[in-house]
Amino acid sequence: MNKTVKITINGEIFEQSVPIRLLLSDFIREVAGLTGTHISCTYEGVCGACTVQLDGAAVKSCLMLATQADGHEVTTVEGLAKDGKLSPLQQAFNDHHALQCGFCTPGILMNMDEFLKKHPNPSDDEIRTGLIGNLCRCTGYAHIVDAVRDAAKRTR
Amino acid sequence: MTTKTGTNWVGAKYNRKEDHRLLTGKGRYLADLSMPGALHLVFVRSEQAHARIKKIDVSAAKKLPGVVTVLTGEDIKNKIKPMPQPVVQPALVAKYPRHWPLAVGKVKFHGEPIAVVVARDKYVAEDAAELIQAEYDPLPYIGDPEKALADKSNRVHEEWDDNIIFEMTFTGGADDASRAKNDAEVERIFKSADVVVRQRFRTHRCGMTPMETRGALMSWDDSDGLIAHVTTQRPHIDRLALSDILDIPAEKVRVIAPRDQGGGFGVKAPFYREPILVAYLARELKRPIRWVESRQEHLMAVSQERDQIHDIEIAASKDGKLLAMRNRGIADCGDGCEGVYWGFLMPFLGSVELPNAYDWPIGDVKLKVAVTNKSALSPARAFGELPTRFAMERAIDLVAKKCGMEPADFRRKNLVAHLPHTSITGEYFDSGDFLKVWDNLMAQVDLKGFRREQEAARKQGRYLGIGFGLGVELSGVASELLVPMESQPGYGAATVRVDPRAKVIVFEGDAPQGQGHETTVAQAVAGAFGIHPSDIVVTTGDTGTTPFGSGTIGARAGSYFISAAVMACAELKQKISRFMIHDLKIENATQDDFEFADGEIVYKKNSNIRKTFREMVERIIMAPINMPAGESGGLEHTAFFEAAKPMICFNADCAKVEVDIRTGQFKILNWTTSEDVGQIINPQIVEGQMQGAVIQGLSNTLFEQFIYDENGQQLTADFENYKLANAADVPDIKVTHAPTPCPYTPLGSRGIGEGRPSSVPGTITNAVCDALSPFGIEIAELPLRPNQIWQLIQNAKKKAAD
Ligand code: FES
Ligand code: FES
Repeated sequence: MNKTVKITINGEIFEQSVPIRLLLSDFIREVAGLTGTHISCTYEGVCGACTVQLDGAAVKSCLMLATQADGHEVTTVEGLAKDGKLSPLQQAFNDHHALQCGFCTPGILMNMDEFLKKHPNPSDDEIRTGLIGNLCRCTGYAHIVDAVRDAAKRTR
Repeated sequence: MTTKTGTNWVGAKYNRKEDHRLLTGKGRYLADLSMPGALHLVFVRSEQAHARIKKIDVSAAKKLPGVVTVLTGEDIKNKIKPMPQPVVQPALVAKYPRHWPLAVGKVKFHGEPIAVVVARDKYVAEDAAELIQAEYDPLPYIGDPEKALADKSNRVHEEWDDNIIFEMTFTGGADDASRAKNDAEVERIFKSADVVVRQRFRTHRCGMTPMETRGALMSWDDSDGLIAHVTTQRPHIDRLALSDILDIPAEKVRVIAPRDQGGGFGVKAPFYREPILVAYLARELKRPIRWVESRQEHLMAVSQERDQIHDIEIAASKDGKLLAMRNRGIADCGDGCEGVYWGFLMPFLGSVELPNAYDWPIGDVKLKVAVTNKSALSPARAFGELPTRFAMERAIDLVAKKCGMEPADFRRKNLVAHLPHTSITGEYFDSGDFLKVWDNLMAQVDLKGFRREQEAARKQGRYLGIGFGLGVELSGVASELLVPMESQPGYGAATVRVDPRAKVIVFEGDAPQGQGHETTVAQAVAGAFGIHPSDIVVTTGDTGTTPFGSGTIGARAGSYFISAAVMACAELKQKISRFMIHDLKIENATQDDFEFADGEIVYKKNSNIRKTFREMVERIIMAPINMPAGESGGLEHTAFFEAAKPMICFNADCAKVEVDIRTGQFKILNWTTSEDVGQIINPQIVEGQMQGAVIQGLSNTLFEQFIYDENGQQLTADFENYKLANAADVPDIKVTHAPTPCPYTPLGSRGIGEGRPSSVPGTITNAVCDALSPFGIEIAELPLRPNQIWQLIQNAKKKAAD
């Protein structure tokens, strides 16, 4: 069964008839062609690689159907840099070597982008707790914590 | 604008070139690639651990609209050659199980592929897979490696006469007589030694599962052949293997590792069965085929390592000198059906590396590897040696305590003091200074102060502990080891192509997965040519354009690949210099008299004589007339690097913990390391490798575990049940350096990172046991979990009360 949905992704409207069982993560990757949103735990909601923002709130896009995002605004990692300039958070990730393979990175950015809005001056413990929903296999997390702390400073 | 000069790029903090695309969602991982008309392939996997296949009913699946084809083992067994094939078979004497990419006759582990569905839509492919019904006749599950070794009637591979895939003696020379003499001497020492420790150590099944699963996207063209995009650490080996197995002429197979791969850590190094089917179907159907592994399949079929038992004995003198060791290792290698590694190469290398950096006069080291009804062990960073390092580092603590010595002092006293050195198992240590690394660690940690703090804390009922561990690791894998071990060459290869606009392209046949090769090799090449790293691009992993390489394995980049690139640059610089001498008519100059810095080439004896790099490059490539005698135009060179002997790096760890004896929970107070990585190319990347490796080691030790129940059902095939460390679970690591440049690489660099997790489980367990020393608790089994610690405390209290 299909349903027509209208989802705004990074400011662009996608109006499309889709199977009702289509996951939001697949809509983003396959319908919108935005492959920065990744799948790692394969739809369990554990790894956080598929994290996007729905109306500004970080959500795991593999745990939602595309139809549930109908009428909403989605921001993906492709929507973070403005006019070709990295956001302070993205730049801090580069400066602190907070990514290796980069597979977890888009989800972490989308989660931490929202986190920093709520916690403009986070402690390291708060950052680490905020990252619980994002698994990273490469970095051991220390550089990610450094980058988020520094991004908070740069944004304040 | 000031630019850095000459070789200053080597050793500089330089932000990674890879990052911009990865931070903006523009990475190109396997699942991001597409081909028009690609079909989706899904595997159906066995629900039983050991059973004869009676029937697989695919009729309902075939009828589902959108399904293109369904195949079982019976459909392919006469069409695809079985493994093993020589290109993915080691030269070591072992049994190599015959198998096809889909089970034929019987299934051998829970998760073995039994059928494959190809459909136009991936949701439909999953629906069809659900409709496939398999009927089985169950066979007894073979799950205990020790029992499997003794059992000749129940066999995983029925064509064998037992369940032993591999056994080996690592000490005492090449023939039986010298081994018998060696073993008798070891026995004599044990009989007369002042101090003897005997202990069994058990490491659990766990591995390095990367965040990106495996996958493949392949297409076929009758004239061009196969284009195979596949998640892999060794595209050139995959190419040869696909060619041999599917009888496709090698020139018609092009394997391309995606530019971006979401981690590998060894898991993407084997030649697995799944890509064989993807290639076969692309050719049969003449349509592109795409397979993206689910996490559940991944955790069922691959990423499992470490499953070893070690019965270790150590003899020492009372004043704390090691006299001899004896070890009987057993490994549970699963069904062993896995190209290149066959489940047993990891325990093999683990035994080779058992002696670690200690100076053993003599030893007797033997290993037996059993096949069982589990997934074949697949390699994981700290390849095979995480278990033997755990056993050795724990055993060293036990011996030290029996000698009445601080484990730290005992370690220092028994470290190999002079390199080069060949270990009792034949491993060659080329260079470095273990004592310097050790003393640097001790300078960071204030052991005496900690002992005072520990004593004071105990009076308040708080249990602090300190633990040490160390590891000598491979820096690249020399042909000397890789040819017998995997039938592959160890050399590093790089093509350096200078283009007419003075930009440089480096071609690498290996396939990185996050290690930052694009940045580190750019720094090395920028240093060589005196240009900026942003002028250098790197192409990796495409067998159609890159020189042959055995793969991104065993810390080969800093040691072998970058050395090859630097050698290629040196060759090109000499050519450019010869043109300088000729064009500028410099008298008595040699090709070594020029410095390449800041975009210029300067005659060292008269710095007024100079040209820009770009001028010279354009001249040689675009205006190849009036040349020096015997020269040709163009600037491109491929170099192969191999040191005469294997090379190593070295590291040591110290952890401080506090254990809560009411719950068995413990907190890591701090973790300090000391490293010899030789000449550092990029300090931030080195730091990242170390942070990541130590946390992976901790995650393996504390959280991860693959569990099979009594029927061989694997219970941990998702991230809910197979827990990885998250950010709140782990500490920050303090990484310090005590480097000795490697004399055998052009930059003095060492390959790092691969073996790095191996010292972690011993270090942390030693710290916990040190904290619990008032209870006399000695832990010999992993994982290290609060419930185990709590139980041991209860047992100790009970014993004390009785
Ligand atoms: S793929 Fe969505 S949380 Fe893992
Ligand atoms: S950078 Fe590789 S998983 Fe996080």
